[in-house]
Amino acid sequence: MTAGGSAAGKGGPPAGAPSGAARADLGEGLGWAGLGLAILVLSLSMDRLAEQGVEPYAVPGLLPGLLGIGMMLFGGLLVWRGRGMVRLAAGGARTKQKSDLRAGRLLVVLALCLTYSVALVGHGIPFWLASWVFVSASILVLQHGAHQEAGRAPNWTREIALATFIGLCAGVFFTVLFQYFFLVHLP
Amino acid sequence: MFIGLSELGQAYLSVLNPLSLAYGLGGALCGILVGCLPGLSATLCIALLTTLTVKLDANHAVLILVCSYVGTLYGGSRSAILLNIPGTAANAASCADGHALAQRGEAGRAIGIATSGAFTGVLCGVICLAAFTPLLARVALSFGSYEFFWLALFGVTISGRIVGNDPVRGWLMGLLGLFVAQIGQDGLYAHDRFTFGFDEMSGGIALIPALVGAFGFSEILTTLTTPTTTVVNLQDSVRPRFREVFQYWQTALRSGAIGVLTGLLPGIGEDAGAWMSYGAARIFSKEKDQFGKGSIDGLMAAETGDMSSIPGHIIPCLALGVPGSAPSAVLMAAMIIHGVQPGPMLMIEHPQFIFDVVAFTTLAMFTILVFGLFLVRPLLYVLRVPRPILMPIIFLLCNIGAFATASRLFDIYAMVAVGLGAFFLRRRGYAMAPFVLGLVLGPLLDKSLRRGLVLSGGSLEPFFTRPISILLFSVIALTVLLQIPALQGLVARLMPWKREAAAN
Repeated sequence: MTAGGSAAGKGGPPAGAPSGAARADLGEGLGWAGLGLAILVLSLSMDRLAEQGVEPYAVPGLLPGLLGIGMMLFGGLLVWRGRGMVRLAAGGARTKQKSDLRAGRLLVVLALCLTYSVALVGHGIPFWLASWVFVSASILVLQHGAHQEAGRAPNWTREIALATFIGLCAGVFFTVLFQYFFLVHLP
Repeated sequence: MFIGLSELGQAYLSVLNPLSLAYGLGGALCGILVGCLPGLSATLCIALLTTLTVKLDANHAVLILVCSYVGTLYGGSRSAILLNIPGTAANAASCADGHALAQRGEAGRAIGIATSGAFTGVLCGVICLAAFTPLLARVALSFGSYEFFWLALFGVTISGRIVGNDPVRGWLMGLLGLFVAQIGQDGLYAHDRFTFGFDEMSGGIALIPALVGAFGFSEILTTLTTPTTTVVNLQDSVRPRFREVFQYWQTALRSGAIGVLTGLLPGIGEDAGAWMSYGAARIFSKEKDQFGKGSIDGLMAAETGDMSSIPGHIIPCLALGVPGSAPSAVLMAAMIIHGVQPGPMLMIEHPQFIFDVVAFTTLAMFTILVFGLFLVRPLLYVLRVPRPILMPIIFLLCNIGAFATASRLFDIYAMVAVGLGAFFLRRRGYAMAPFVLGLVLGPLLDKSLRRGLVLSGGSLEPFFTRPISILLFSVIALTVLLQIPALQGLVARLMPWKREAAAN
């Protein structure tokens, strides 16, 4: 935990702070203000239930509208903090990601997780089978990345056998545990 | 008072049976295992265990969750000491001195001190939990919609101000959490808000899937993109060092009190208790130069501070229905799932429950002592499990956890969406605690505001004239206004010592 407020308090980017932080403030502030405005517009256009006799101060859109205004105010504060950085943002060269390998791994992990949660689970494939496929594939792909990063040459037969075994055990074990012991009907 | 003591006695007797003891030990063990794995938080552990315990009766379920809460934070000190990576955010303060001791070949001693510090911390917290929760709940009985409106806003404001590096970002996250809580049918007229015609969104974004996403999926993504480190070996004895608790009794007592007090503030998190205790110990210590280099005083303060804040967080959760931290927010959600509504009415509807929670926390305190003695070396094997093997299994559990409470596929999608959002927001320096608090307090804020206005006939006057309302409003207003540079300058002129401190 650190004392907050240094960045916000000086009316601009804090002394010694990287210009990137101010650029982030500007972009993020605009994003928050935009979100706040969208929430405010949606709240104002929300049904006020007048036909049900609901008073104007008890309409369903009251609090969301106020929250939208709050987001616009604080988003505006971020924009104000990052002011004067537009030219820097336009002219500054983007620093390259330190580790392309890790960025690639993030994309792979994202793809695997999204495939499992959105495409495999709940679409007719038994839960244990979907989980087996996901866990085994993930272990293989991630171990491959770890070996690559460490510069090791893995024994692929052993890796595939291990990943398949762990995936099968995890899929079957958790399905049985939840479905039959905790009576949760899995998708 | 005697009625309270009798209820407390009954609560202690009710946990002294083999089944409760087994549940308590099991919950604590799950917590320790999760806690010692960097990247897996107490919030995730409690959220996943909530789905596992949904079929149990309320007392046993909450017993398991409380023990896992205590166990996770205790387990987090393992990786802080042996890997120099805090198992949970609350253990970050233990890294410097704990790992320095481990590198000198005193890892066992460091773990022993962490165990005794944790035990002492929870003990301090349990005493305060038993003494103050019923009192606070009685005071809260006089609260109306106006006070609850400001209390909910107070929680989000204070959490946004203190957690993280930037209050503005903290408050934006709090507002986002409050907004997400408004999605679905509103609490007064069951009118659909922000559902865009999707029937599944009428039920809103449920708390458990959102928390599993924010603390599970986003942590998995973070962990898999972070390099792993090596585990320090244990060479010496790991038995708890109570001799050192007596030697550093002032540190233990001070840290226990600081932990409980920080725990009382809504949405602050256990790490605040640890860091504030650590800071205070550094000021008062005779061995200031040892801090960061393996100070016993520092490690004791950090561990006692974070562990005593657990009961501290449970106090406002039970008495006011305002959780003190993200894990206690899940604990509160679990209590609601089991038919126990925390808040001022708890003392009337379930008077025994507060004392039951005191007994559960006491049992949790003894379980960490048991596992601190017997489970240190086996835990080293858990720390050595490669992340690429562990994380897909955790994600599988996140999916089950999100789905199990309501059996809705939509909850899995919500978990993934919240997790993705949380991952990218965290990378940009946004703290999750204000978001979680906003998510929990959103319905209370909405209902209190509109009920208050209906009761006052649309007048805002009662929001600003009732004593507790004025107090809460003043704190909120001051906290926000002090972010304005002109006012900060004025404060600096009025308080020259603050200016000097800033200059230094």
